[in-house]
Amino acid sequence: MTHVVRAFLAYLRAAIGVMFQYRGEILLWAIWGLINPAVLYAMWSSAAEGNPGGEAAGFTRGQFAAYYFIIMIVGHLATAWDVYEMGYMIRTGKLSPLLLRPILPIWKSLAENVAYKIATLLFVVPMWCIFAWLVTPTFDTAMWQFGLGAAAVLLAAALNFILGYVVSLVAFWVTKLDALGEVYFGLGMFLGGRFAPLDALPEPVRWIADGLPFRWMFAFPAELLMGRITSQTEALAGIGIQAAWIVCIIVAFKILWTVAVKRHAAVSG
Amino acid sequence: MMLFARVSVQNIAAYRFDLVVRIGVSLMHIAAELLGVWIIFTNTQTLKGWQWQHMLVLVGVYRIIAGGIRMSIVPNMRKVLEEIREGTLDFVLLRPVNAQLLVSIREFVVWRVADVLIGMAVAAVGCVELIGHIPVVSALIFSLMLAAGFVIVYSVWLMLATLCFWFVRIQNIEMVFWNVFEAGRFPIVIYRPWVQWLLTFVVPLAFITTFPAGALLGDPATQIPVMAPVYAVGMAMVLLLLSGWFWRFGLRHYSGASA
Repeated sequence: MTHVVRAFLAYLRAAIGVMFQYRGEILLWAIWGLINPAVLYAMWSSAAEGNPGGEAAGFTRGQFAAYYFIIMIVGHLATAWDVYEMGYMIRTGKLSPLLLRPILPIWKSLAENVAYKIATLLFVVPMWCIFAWLVTPTFDTAMWQFGLGAAAVLLAAALNFILGYVVSLVAFWVTKLDALGEVYFGLGMFLGGRFAPLDALPEPVRWIADGLPFRWMFAFPAELLMGRITSQTEALAGIGIQAAWIVCIIVAFKILWTVAVKRHAAVSG
Repeated sequence: MMLFARVSVQNIAAYRFDLVVRIGVSLMHIAAELLGVWIIFTNTQTLKGWQWQHMLVLVGVYRIIAGGIRMSIVPNMRKVLEEIREGTLDFVLLRPVNAQLLVSIREFVVWRVADVLIGMAVAAVGCVELIGHIPVVSALIFSLMLAAGFVIVYSVWLMLATLCFWFVRIQNIEMVFWNVFEAGRFPIVIYRPWVQWLLTFVVPLAFITTFPAGALLGDPATQIPVMAPVYAVGMAMVLLLLSGWFWRFGLRHYSGASA
């Protein structure tokens, strides 16, 4: 285990170096994570004002501000790009040398992922503050909600990374993955609560969203942190579901990875 | 130009399965956008005066323009950026034709026509749903404004590509463009006044999606300026001249990567 930790830290140091080298480019990535929630906030706040009660889907303008402020943070921390990259890595053979190393390629991906978030912190934190200052969010968060919410955000980020990685393994079977990446992204958008809070969706769709991992990657931590989930059992159950998903997906990863690598050897051999 | 287009068509005919997948993705995109409109309007009656019919037209316009950009502007500009980086732009500049014209019409991603057609259909449905027919005069003004919007996008892109003469490593400039373009999915009236001002005069996004959509409907609820078509044509001409001048200015500074 220690050699994995040491190798991971070495990967991380190298990746942070690379990120700072390409600081201009990674900032451009980070900007999307700011613009998209800001635009959606503007749209939903107009929608709330378009109703007689000043509410849409049970959210006031200030609550939309709080929701999208957290979605902005969760969305940034949950960024993962393996679904888009794995097909390219396999097509060009860039994955092959990584397979020869005595450590799984997923650790390199994880190191790059963490490095991206560390390197962009100095840029995004001031942007988050400016956004919050402009939109004046209404928070009804109690101390316990804040504590559990912070844990939920971290679990959401972990779930996002590992799920994206497992989905990207499909690239071992189909080399053009672009369409799959779009479907995955779209599911996160609609069923994850990024486009609209899940309360805005019709009842049956919400049931589907409960059963899929996407809700637990975005909407759940946001609702918890803004103080919308008021029962402690519900909050703890949500965190339990997040943890359960992570465990299931890690198991799925172990199985799929073995099969995928065997297949890869067959293709390139 | 016809020759360039024909080569592009032959290129996609060679990869038919890929074409089917891509058109499938296009349909998926429009489905997602329509789903978005449906979600919004099951939860509210109006977005600052815009009803679902107005929004359908806007979704259509967004698709037409985004499809047009990916069909002709983006592939050409990507090629220019690559050539500036690799120094092969010299071969283009040596040819005895207008370099700006040549670099702007070399590549066409023909299947993106599908996006444009889908966008037109959606806009037409929105228009018929709201006013029962497609008014001929408005449709002409609408086409003019779409053309102006397209010229504006082209000019912005030419200026972005020209920046590459000085800052060679800006491959991801395309990301910036799409990031900002995202804000054009919704009518600009949803933003605060100072953001609206920015989106009209600094980043002229209003001319590209909101104004054409409003002009087709001719409905005061869309709150676009009455003189919007005139402004749009004016803006397009100013930006076209400005970007042409900037391109020539950039070329004078370009000494070739091989030198």
